[in-house]
This record gives sequence, C-alpha cells and structure tokens, in this order.
Amino acid sequence: MCYRFLPERSVSACFPPFRRERLMASRKELSSVSSSGMASTGGTLDSPVKQVQIEGLVVMKIIKHYQEEGQGSEVVQGVLLGLVVDDRLEITNCFPFPQHTEDDADFDEVQYQMEMMRSLRHVNIDHLHVGWYQSTFYGSFVSRALLDSQFSYQHAIEESVVLIYDPIKTAQGSLSLKAYRLTPKLMEICKEKDFTPEGLKKASIGFENMFEEVPIVIKNSHLINVLMWELEDKSTVADKHELLNLSSSNHLEKSLQLLMDRVDDMSQEIVKYNTYSRNLSKQQQQKHQYLQRRQQENAQRQSRGEAPLPEEDISKLFKPPQPPPRMDSLLIAGQINNYCQNVKEFTSQNLGKLFMAEALQGQN
Amino acid sequence: MSRFFATGSDSESEESSSADEITPKAPGTTLKQSLLLSDDEEDTKRVVRSAKDKRFEELTNLIKTIRNAMKIRDMAKCLEEFEQLCRAFLKSKNIVDKEGVPSFYIRLLADLEDYLNQLWEDKDGKKKMNKNNAKALSTLRQKIRKYNRDFETEIAAYKEVSRKSFLPPLTCSSSESEGEAGGVSAKSFLKKKPDEASKAAKEDDDDDDDDEGWSGESKESDSESSDGEAKRQSMAESFLKYVLFLILTFSEIKKLSKRRDKAKARKHIEEEEEDGGEEGGEGWEKVKYGVPLVKEKPKMFAKGTEINTTVVVKKLNEILQARGKKGTDRAAQIELLHALAAIAAEHNLGQGILVKIKFNIIASLYDYNPNLAAFMKADMWKKCLECIDELLDILFENNNIFIGENIAEDSENLAVSDQPFRVRGCVLTLVERMDEEFTKIMQNTDPHSQEYVDNLKDEGRVCGIVDRLLTYLENKGSTEEICRVYLRRIMHTYYKFDYKAHRRSLGLQGETKSEQDQEESEGEDSALIMDRLCKFIYAKDRTDRIRTCAILCHIYHHALHSRWYQARDLMLMSHLQDNIHHSDPPVQILYNRTMVQLGICAFRQGMIKDAHNALLDIQSSGRAKELLGQGLLMRNMQERNAEQEKIEKRRQVPFHMHINLELLECVYLVSAMLLEIPYMAAHEFDARRRMISKQFHHQLRVGERQPLLGPPESMREHVVAASKAMKMGDWRTCHSFIINEKMNSKVWDLFPETQRVREMLVRKIQEESLRTYLFTYSSVYDSISMEILSEMFQLEMPTVHSIISKMIINEELMASLDQPTQTVVMHRTEPTSLQNMALQLAEKLGSLVENNERVFDLKQGVYGGYFNRGYQGGGYRNQNQSNY
Repeated sequence: MCYRFLPERSVSACFPPFRRERLMASRKELSSVSSSGMASTGGTLDSPVKQVQIEGLVVMKIIKHYQEEGQGSEVVQGVLLGLVVDDRLEITNCFPFPQHTEDDADFDEVQYQMEMMRSLRHVNIDHLHVGWYQSTFYGSFVSRALLDSQFSYQHAIEESVVLIYDPIKTAQGSLSLKAYRLTPKLMEICKEKDFTPEGLKKASIGFENMFEEVPIVIKNSHLINVLMWELEDKSTVADKHELLNLSSSNHLEKSLQLLMDRVDDMSQEIVKYNTYSRNLSKQQQQKHQYLQRRQQENAQRQSRGEAPLPEEDISKLFKPPQPPPRMDSLLIAGQINNYCQNVKEFTSQNLGKLFMAEALQGQN
Repeated sequence: MSRFFATGSDSESEESSSADEITPKAPGTTLKQSLLLSDDEEDTKRVVRSAKDKRFEELTNLIKTIRNAMKIRDMAKCLEEFEQLCRAFLKSKNIVDKEGVPSFYIRLLADLEDYLNQLWEDKDGKKKMNKNNAKALSTLRQKIRKYNRDFETEIAAYKEVSRKSFLPPLTCSSSESEGEAGGVSAKSFLKKKPDEASKAAKEDDDDDDDDEGWSGESKESDSESSDGEAKRQSMAESFLKYVLFLILTFSEIKKLSKRRDKAKARKHIEEEEEDGGEEGGEGWEKVKYGVPLVKEKPKMFAKGTEINTTVVVKKLNEILQARGKKGTDRAAQIELLHALAAIAAEHNLGQGILVKIKFNIIASLYDYNPNLAAFMKADMWKKCLECIDELLDILFENNNIFIGENIAEDSENLAVSDQPFRVRGCVLTLVERMDEEFTKIMQNTDPHSQEYVDNLKDEGRVCGIVDRLLTYLENKGSTEEICRVYLRRIMHTYYKFDYKAHRRSLGLQGETKSEQDQEESEGEDSALIMDRLCKFIYAKDRTDRIRTCAILCHIYHHALHSRWYQARDLMLMSHLQDNIHHSDPPVQILYNRTMVQLGICAFRQGMIKDAHNALLDIQSSGRAKELLGQGLLMRNMQERNAEQEKIEKRRQVPFHMHINLELLECVYLVSAMLLEIPYMAAHEFDARRRMISKQFHHQLRVGERQPLLGPPESMREHVVAASKAMKMGDWRTCHSFIINEKMNSKVWDLFPETQRVREMLVRKIQEESLRTYLFTYSSVYDSISMEILSEMFQLEMPTVHSIISKMIINEELMASLDQPTQTVVMHRTEPTSLQNMALQLAEKLGSLVENNERVFDLKQGVYGGYFNRGYQGGGYRNQNQSNY
C-alpha cells in the first residue's frame, strides 16, 4: 500500500484539542469501561506506538468526508477513536468535525466532541480519543497549526497520532494515508516553548527529526474480506487505470509552485536570521570595545592611585537583540523536505510509467 | 424713524459741538444720559445702540447692583459684582480708550474704597458680620486697593471735587455706619442719582439740543440734584483733559461727522423713496450724484472755490486717506471718486487728473473686497471693465501722458497741459489684477450654470483689454512690461483650439460668405501669435518664471494642435523636466497640464509609448485631478487645514480650461493596454515580470474581482473588457469594446480629428493583437501561414511580415520565415511552463543558498565567529573582573 502524507498549506485552524482536564475526565470515564486498553501505555516517552492499525471503515469514512466537504485547498478534519493494544494503536472509528462558518462562532467544539463520543459509546463503539485526521493539498501540512494541535494532543494523550490523508494522490489511484507523531525531543521543546536558535541547537532538533512517521496497517475483519472477494467477482465496473495516467505536468507544476513559495519564505527567514546575527556581532564588538576602554581607564586610575570606576551592568548597557524564533524556519524546512520527497516519488513513478509506455509503443 | 434721527442728530451735534467749542461738558455724563434713556425705553422699543452705549449700560447696571449690595452690607455679593465689573470694564477698554474713563466708574471706585475702609475700621460691625462676608470684605478691600492704584489721579480729582462741593461721602456714611436704620441719607442719595438722571434724560429727549443733560437737570430745583450736578460738572472738568485729547482729534471728528452726514443723507433719501413713489425718480437721481455732492461740495470745495487741479488732488488725497481704514464705507468711496471724476471732467481739468482718478477708482474697486479669496460681484466687475476701457481710451487718445510706477507723487504733472502729463500708476498691474479677478470669478462660479457662460462671455472683453494694453505697451512700455503683457496674452491663447486655422489647414473654405468674412477678419493664426510672443519672451525675458510659463504654454499650444515633434523638441530642449520641481505650484500645475496635453497629442499621433510615458507620472499617483488643478481631493481633508485649502482653491484652473479627466484616463489606459497586453503575453512565465503600468494592472484586478461580469458600462470597464479580448488575440471584440457609441460619446469625440484617431486606434489594436496572438499561441503551432494571419487580423501582408520579422529580430518569437510558402515556422525552443517553473525554482534556490552562505560567513568570519564563541568567556571574564 502506498501511503503518502499530504501536507496542507492553509491548515485553517486545526480544531482545538481538548483541554487536558476534559480529556482526562473522558479518559477516566473510558478506562472504567475498557480497563484493558491502558495496559501497554506505560510512562515511557519513547514512542508508545510502534504501529498504527486502521480499520477499513475509518479509511472509507475519511475519504467520504473529504469527498463531501473538502474542495480545492480546503482541509477537512476529524477525530480518531480507538484503542492502544500493546505497542499498536488500533483506530477503529472516527467522526468528522463539522465545517464551521463564521456565523456560529459560539459553536462549542469540545462540547461537540464529547457529545459525539458519548453517543458513539451508546452504540458500543470505541470512544477512546486517540488522535485526529486531516486532509491535505499537494502534501502541504507541516505548519505551525498542525504542530500546536498535535502537541496538545500528545501532551494530553501520549499515544495520539495525526493521520494525513492526501485526496489528490488518492484520486490518482494510490491511497495516500500517513500517520505522524511528534518526536519526544520536539515535545520537550514545545513544552518549554524555547524556540531560540540556541534552544533548538541544544536540543539538536532538525527538520528531519521533528515528526516521526508511524507505519500503517489497514486491517479488515475476515467477514469484510470475504465480502470484498465476492463483490470483486460480481463487480461489472470497468477497470480503472488511474495508476497508468501519463500526464504529470499539472501535478508537478502545482508542487513546484508550492515549493517555490516555501523557498521564498525560507529566504525571508534566513535574511531575518542574518540580520539578527549581524546585529548581535556588532553589539558584541561594541561591548568588547567598551570593556577594553573600561579596563584601560581603570588601569590608568590605578596607576594614579584612584579607586577603579564602579562596575556597571553590561547587560543593561547592551541589550542583546531579540533572536528570531526559529521554529518557523524549521517548519518551513520540514515542509520543503516534504515537497521534495513528494516530487521525487512522483517523478520516479512517472519515469517508470513513461518507460513502460515507450516499451509498449515499440511493441505496437 | 424719529428715534433714529434723534439719536443720529444727537451724536452729531454732540460731537461737533464738543469739537468746536470746548465746553465744560463731561462726555461721560452725556453718555450716561443717553444710555439711561435707552434703558428706560428698552421694553417698549428695540433700539439700535452704539457699542459704547451698550458697554456703558452694562457697567452702570453692575454699579447699581454693587451699590445695592453696599447698602445691605452684603460683602460677598459686592465682591462678586465688583469682579464682574472689572471684567466688563476690561471688555469695554476700546471704548474707554477712546472716550476716557467714565466718571461714574471712578465715582464707584472711590465710594467703594471709602466704604470698605470705613467698614474695615468698624471693629464691632466686623465682628457681627458672618464669616463669608468678613472674608469677602478683606478680599475686596485688597482688591480695590490694588485696582484703584491705576486710577489714582482720577479718584483724587473726584474726591477733591466732592469734598469741595458737599460733605464727603465718608462722613455721611460714617454717621450711618452706627445703625443701618438711620443711614438713608448719603446712600439713598447715591442711589437716587441714576433715577434722577434718567428722569432728566427723559425730559431732554423731547428737546434735543446740544446741552441736553445740563439744562434739564438744572431745571430741577431739588437741592440734592444741584449738588450732584455741581459735583458732576466739576468732576467733568477735571476729566476733560483725559477725555478730550483722546477723543477729539479734530480732523477725525470732522471726518466722522461727514461720513455720518452722508449715511444719513442716504438713509434719508431711501426713506423718502419709500414714502412717496412719485418722488422716487428724483430722489434716486439725488442719491447718485446730487445729494452727496450738493451737501459735500461746500466741504469738498467751499462755495466759490475755484475748482482747479490742486484742489481736486487735495480732495482726492483726502478721500484716499480713508482707504483701508476700518469702518470706511468702500462703496461710498467709490461713489465719491466717481463724483470727483465727474467734477474733474466737468471743469475740464485735463486728462492727467482724469487718469489719476481713474487709477484710483480701479484700485478702490479692487479694494472693495477686503478678503483676498472673495471675488468681485458682477456689477463691480462690469464697472471695473468699463473703467479700464475708459482709461485705455484716454491713454490711446492722448499720447502725451506718461504713466509709471516710478514717478514720485511730487514729480507728477497733472495740470500743465503743454508739458506731457506724468501720472503715477501702472496700467499693467491693473490689467493683471483684472485678469486675476476674472480667474477668481470663474473659479467661484458654478461651471454648469448659465451664469458661468455669461461670465465666460466677458473673456472676450478681457482679451480685448489685454490686446489693447499690448499695443499700447508695445509703443511705450519697457521690455519687461512687454514680457509681462505678452505672457498675459499667451495665457489667454494657449489653451484655445484654433478651429479656423485647423479648418484652413484642411483646405476647407467657410461654407458661407459670412464665415469667410469672419475668417479674413480674424487675422493671423493663433500659432503665429504664440510663436511671435513666445519668441520675444525667450529672447527678452530676464525673470525665469515668465519664460518658463511661456515655454510651457507654447508646448501646450503645439500639442493641442497636434504639432507633436515641435512640442516634444521644445520640451526636451528646455530641460524643464529636470528643474520643474523648484518652481512654484501654479507653474507646476501648468507643467502638469502641458505634460498631459503632450501625452494626449502623442496618442493622437499614434505614438503610444510616448503617450504612455508622458501620462505615467500624472496617472500613477491617482491624483490627476489635484495635479492638474481641477479640483481638490476629498481624502486630503484631514491632512490640510482650512488655510491651506484656501490657498489650494485659489490655484484651481477655471473650468473652461480643464482637461477632460476621463479622456486623459482613457488615453492612458488604452495606451497601457496596447503596451502591456503583448508584454504580458510575451513574459507569461517570467519570474520577475515588471509591470509597465501599475494602474492598468489595478484596473484589471478590479475587473477580475467582479463576481458577476455584465456588459461594460464605464470607460474603465470597456478598457478592461477590451484588454481581456486582446489577451486572446481577438481583435474584433477588442475593437468593438474600445470603439463604440458609448466610448465615442464619452471619449473619442472629444478629439478634434476624431476619425483619424479612431483609424489609428483600430490599426494599433490589430497589430498588437497579432503580436499577442503569436506570443500566446505560438507553442501550439508548428507553422502558420502569414496569409491566414493577415486575414485573421485584417492586416496587409507586408505589415504582418514586418511585425513578425521584428519579433524574430528582437528574439521575442522563436521562429523563422519560410519565404516560398509564406509561412512562419516555429522553432519550439521556448521552455514549457514546467521548465520555466523549474528554472525559477533554481533561481530561487540559488538566492537561498547565497543567503545561507552569508549566514555561514558571519559565523566563520573572524569577527563574528570569534566574538560569538567568546561570548560566554567574555561574560565569565566579566564576572571575574567584578569579583576583584
């Protein structure tokens, strides 16, 4: 199965994650029902989830959700429900988030989630909150909103994941679904909110290790499998060969466009950082000069037998310039990386297809 | 009416008498009387009072309350009222300065001080007083002491008088201070006085002769009143010196009375007119000339005086002295001057004096509006024109009159007719001022009213006057003056399109005989006139401004008449573009107008690029209206205050000289379209495509933002729709959007050579559409036949050939021409859009890497690296140092 993660440019206000208390409450409520669920989620931060197992139902529901509500670059979002079994996160159900408009600003999303879960519980469906999903547009999803949102999820529920669904890839014939989690390192940084260059350096965070991808397995019950086999035989629908579509320039153009935008952003960030470091070094120089002068004067005074000048607070005299937050550039870098992967994969596939087409043509 | 006359004659007789025989009459008292009188009658009749009366009444009222308060020993009230009184007195300072300190005021001050001192010394009484009163007493005492210091002399005089004449008030009130009950005497007496006065005044009202107050009061046999009178009289004497020298400057009084006489006389006649209709005609006559003259004549020129030049000049000066003074009746002054002129003419005093008076009449006509922003009224304007015409008539008729600004008053020769007359004054200035007034009138008239048209008809007269002056000065004036008058002439010529010359150049004859006659009588072309005048100025002028204006007008005129190359060359040779920023706003406005006209001219000639460049500056700012002086922008309201706004309003160009803004914008947008659309098509994939015209793009974007696109309505919408059509290479649609009935009526018909412009436009549209088509769709073709192209765009084969060849040479089109088949063969070397994007991306990445390197350099560089690493070390060392 080809899982593709798909980012989103305008992750318009990821739905607010639960406030922690509420989550905990719902958690407790849950644990009383399904006591077995918590077994393996020990306190170790070291990735409590090694694998994500998704029910076919969930995949279908997500796809359906996008089909019905998403369009163009708009994203759809929803909540994942499931259980943790050993180091495996089983996602057994999900529900979408309603698209909220400006009109109903007082729409209480948390309330909506709670209601939804309670209702699901009544019909005996897993109602343990284990993450969220989001659609994406040409793989743009690495953004601040996603980061914040996933952080609060993981902060409240360690094992939560975010599922990224790429409808465009899917439409081309290969289902693209990816599960991501924040790395423990990034979690720590986010917790401290220390996004200065030094802080990030110390934590040795790079764009490569901000997110970790969790492998996905799609699992259906045997009954469904049987049904599928049967349906396949009966199905009269003509075979669709989207996979073999040769036209590539449209997709590539879009990707390149997005990539260029990001690169522009990146350039700006770099310029910002550049200015900062130049200012910093200039100030350091001034400070150094000041100190030297001070020293000389003190030496003179000492030779004259006078008391040295009183020490002044240097840090007050030279206020260091505000370092630019680096998280944005990290995210942009991550996003660029993402696009590049995307393009690379796409082109390599297309190349294969082209060769194939050539061979076929030769035969004819 | 009787009331009016009563007061009128009152004041007159009062003043004249006081002027003539300095009788020991206190003006203050009279004043008070008249004022009390009006006080009495106030309820029954609204009376017009002078400012003096009003002020003094205010004072007396306050004094009355103070006296009342004194009587009941209400110190708080006393203090309050006293403060008000002081304020009121300050307010009436103007009048007091003129009239002297009123006696009643001094009296109060003196009495109050005495009264307070006496209260102060009365310890028992003070103890009995409540706290408020005691406090007020002390404050008031201090205050009045300080205050009275300013009036020491007057008070001393008053006291002396009162001591002499009767028991000092001090003793009076001291006896009274023992018990309130007993003390009616002095105070009640003081209190009574105003009443008596008013009584007396009432009586006086009936017989209004000079010494009203006095006779009336003396009639009263009451001993008290005679006391009071005596007191007042003597007091008045002591004040006379203060009062008289202040008020009674002899000449002033005379003038005043004269003016009043006049006013009265006028009033009188009006009255008469109202009363009797039959009399009206006669009475009217009187107003205009008769009455003031008949009455004044004895004063102007005493009876029997031989009216000669000297006398008239003296009189003229006398009249002129009132000029600019406050309260001078300017209309009356003009009348007077007219009358004087009539007298001078009547007595045949010669042209010199007449010219002199005319000068002054015109000057006072200009003076009529004290406000510089206000404009002349129609009748004044007519009068002014007539006067100037007459003046010019005289000047033309009499060759022996020299006029000049530099002739001193003394060296004027107005009388001796065998020598040439010498008169001080400058016709040129007057005419210039007239011209400005004309502009002002035009600025202040609603341009869409009939009135404007009527006013505009005067333009001919103004031009006529300027022309006459021009001929006059050409004979007599200095070069400088000639330059100035030439500029005026130019200013009246440059913006007018010379239809006759235009028609003549087209070889058309006037259809009817009369038109032909007209043409013949018209004289030289405006172009020739402009050329002659401007060249003279270029050669002779020494002030930069006149030359600049002349050049600009010349260019404008050239441009207006489609002499593009001359206009352009003149503009380029004059180097005005470089230093126009240093000139004053009106010249800059003229410059802007010229540039716009130049641009429109270029457009008419089909020089689209030049047109665009010329109009770019004006249009890109979005303030074309303001820059051309054709209206103020609303949004600037906050940025400027009322003063600036007035100045800006004065700079506005009158409506008949306006350049049609819609035409301007349309010309600009169409030229932008013709340039921009092919350019956009050619550089579709360019990463950093620059815009030729921001405004055009703005319009396009506005068009795109429309949720629903209906058929175009406004001029802009038409252009946007046409641009869209052109983008597709669809020249027919584009053409129909640019040239249709709506656009014709809105824009194109405004050109003098409409048909030619339209033809030019069609051609341009065809050519540019062809180019756009080739740019946009060349990637689709392997080859394309020129024949088909020429058919598609309705262009001749050679034109198509030349356009394509040009594109190939400029490397805009990757193709080659195949001569035998007459086809264009595409080379297909242009990158696809994907390739273009990749190139752009590579470029961007390059700059990204570069930026990154720079960061790296900073880190590695000796300075940055060293100090960055040493940062903590430095801090550490610092700590160490501080430890020592």
